[in-house]
Amino acid sequence: MYRKHVSGLLLAMLLLLAACGTSGAPPTVGGVPAPSAAASGGASPAASASPTEVVPPAKGDKSAISVWAQANNVETARAENIDSAAQQLGFKAEAIADPTGWGDYKKKFLLAADSGQAPDIILSGHEDIAPWGQAGYIIPLDDLINANQETFKNIIPELWKSVEWNGKRWGIPQDTEARPLWYNKQKLADLGWSQQEIDSLPDRIKSGEFTLDDMIATAKQAVEKGVVKEGHGYWHRPTKGSDFYQYYFAYGGALDDGSGKLLFDKAAAEKWFAFQRRVVEEGITPKNFIGTESKIWHETVTSGEVLFFNGGVWNFADWAKNYTKDKGGEEYLYGFVGWALQPSGEKGKPGVTLSHPLVYMVTSEKASGEQQQQDAFKAVTAATTPELNNKHALGSAHLAILTTQLDTPDYKANKILQGTAYMLEYTRFLPNNADFGTYDDIVFRAMSAAENGEMSPAEAVSMVADELQTELGDKVVIK
Amino acid sequence: MAESTVHPPSKALVAQPTLSHRLRASATALLFLLPAAALVITFFIVPVIITLYISMTDMSTSTFSDPNFIGLQNYSRMFRSGAMGKIVRNTVFYVGTTLALFNVGMALVIALLTTHIPRRSGAFFRALWLLPRITPSVVYIMIWKYLAADAPFGVFNQVLQPLGIAPENWVLAAPWTMVILVNGFIGASFGMIIFTSAIESIPESYLHASRVDGATALQTIRYVILPLLRWPLLFVMTYQTLSLMTSFEQILLLTDGGPGYYTTETWALQAYHRALSNYFGNVNFGLGAALAAVLVLIGVILAIVYLRVFRFGELVQEPKIETL
Repeated sequence: MYRKHVSGLLLAMLLLLAACGTSGAPPTVGGVPAPSAAASGGASPAASASPTEVVPPAKGDKSAISVWAQANNVETARAENIDSAAQQLGFKAEAIADPTGWGDYKKKFLLAADSGQAPDIILSGHEDIAPWGQAGYIIPLDDLINANQETFKNIIPELWKSVEWNGKRWGIPQDTEARPLWYNKQKLADLGWSQQEIDSLPDRIKSGEFTLDDMIATAKQAVEKGVVKEGHGYWHRPTKGSDFYQYYFAYGGALDDGSGKLLFDKAAAEKWFAFQRRVVEEGITPKNFIGTESKIWHETVTSGEVLFFNGGVWNFADWAKNYTKDKGGEEYLYGFVGWALQPSGEKGKPGVTLSHPLVYMVTSEKASGEQQQQDAFKAVTAATTPELNNKHALGSAHLAILTTQLDTPDYKANKILQGTAYMLEYTRFLPNNADFGTYDDIVFRAMSAAENGEMSPAEAVSMVADELQTELGDKVVIK
Repeated sequence: MAESTVHPPSKALVAQPTLSHRLRASATALLFLLPAAALVITFFIVPVIITLYISMTDMSTSTFSDPNFIGLQNYSRMFRSGAMGKIVRNTVFYVGTTLALFNVGMALVIALLTTHIPRRSGAFFRALWLLPRITPSVVYIMIWKYLAADAPFGVFNQVLQPLGIAPENWVLAAPWTMVILVNGFIGASFGMIIFTSAIESIPESYLHASRVDGATALQTIRYVILPLLRWPLLFVMTYQTLSLMTSFEQILLLTDGGPGYYTTETWALQAYHRALSNYFGNVNFGLGAALAAVLVLIGVILAIVYLRVFRFGELVQEPKIETL
């Protein structure tokens, strides 16, 4: 009897344990298996770094022009383009398309650079220019750019701003993007919007007629009328990332004070944090939303369940290939997905977007142990062509970096790239400042706490101001 | 009978060992200690010294190869941070709760239960409890994330919804519960093994004697088994406290210290975030090292406290019977 009870108890514990160990099957949406590859993130670094071993790949042929470029199953051309350009020039090339997350990728580069084993060319976000330039791992490129004006005069002028630091240019833009407000045209129609109203939404956002307040009101109405489920009126990015700063900009905020110092505008930030809280309180975004798995986010928005959602233009290629291929891919998406700028927070002011160009940087002799910076730059120059960049832009839904790309037939025929190209006129960049990572950590945590209701927007802003003052002292301007 | 008085020999008559004699006498012992000492110095002492040095520099991505010595500024920055109070409270809560409920509590329960059923069945159940420990962390956390995911994905919600409980993403709705469960399921197996071997090494005669005296199973556990588990309990508690204080990978993968404002950020995770993981690149190795150095100090103090409280010296002294 006694043994029976003990065995029963053990079995109950076993069931509990089994519950935690048997559910490895991938989730399905509407009975359709979820895609195996999660190419989320696009031009944005992954939110969480995994504690995997960070070992710089061994450098093989010393005479080869080596390049590292972060990659996923949609964005493979970054390394391939340098490889083919180098080969056209008659150089040996060693291209590594690195599938690890951005965190580990950058750590690898740091360790490699400090031990003189870095590649000759490194592709990364433009915000790495400040810390890597300060460390002496990359070289300024002004002289080389000026000597190759034939190629570089075609770079879209706005993009040069992203590679400037300390009065010099340290990188060559490889891609850029806009971060649209995606909207579900079908759901707007179900809500009673006329075709004309739906079609004019991007223009109304551009002119400042349709603001974030209007977006909240529309999403709330959709929830109330049962057009979308509770909490499915508006989904912002689910994880840490630069996208959130668009709302800060939308309320008049800026990240730098114009003299190179970081800036925290308390009034704009409080409005931004209040917006994040409101979307939860109004029932258009789920409670405890920040931290939702990216894969679940993508599956939900691409199955047409959400009215408004934020992402990057690169999501379109990812969704077509990894989430909706069996439903028709791009054609299926064009059927219900519309795009516009992020609405302004203030009536009459234009919408905004944020670009995060990835750039090729040429490493210093200290970092690579090589003296082939000139050849490396030649390879980057040779890769900066409409043909090669189109390969990347069209394949991964990234915007053109060359004016000469815009007129190519393939680019012109691409509906999503053509449709979002105008957004670059309204774009902002993150600051090239070595302390931006510290700034971002503090702001993101406070913003999340405000959205969760853990702090009021005012308390969160005050906490950010105090933390920034403690951490960065006079390197940040708080106004 | 004349009393004989025994006088101790005068010091002058006893040959005092010289330094070289003493060295020669202990040379063998020192030689045998050398490999272990070299390992301890290389892998424990030297890293601590390097960590202390880095903690007094401004080493970051941008100054990685040429850091400046800044004295105790990182320590000052660390203690001035408004978040440290919360991080300390989180760490105490996480370590205390996981230790009490799982790493010692659940471990003891499993060990007691599995040693009171047939030996083979007991071994089978214990082997099952080792599964969380041998599953790679990333896979293990992914499983939990999908178990706890919001409807229609999560398994928990599929079970709870029919009971009238609204679906949630449980990792985000109850982050501490999930963090403790995830870590506890791994941690319980260590104590389970130690306690099981300790229980099985208790002489059968003690247990038979208690039965003869009419003790119930619970009384046998309370008055015979538990008192004999004092040493394994001390060991598991000390080891697991230090282990929980310094481990962070499951929390990193599950919640990354969130959601919100440092909700589940522990000291070790904060050290990792500061030293090795910055979303936009420029990590602060110096500040991270300062956090790690203070954690080492706290660990050492705690270990000493445990050893004093449990009277470690008495537990490990040689049995008196062998000194007679």
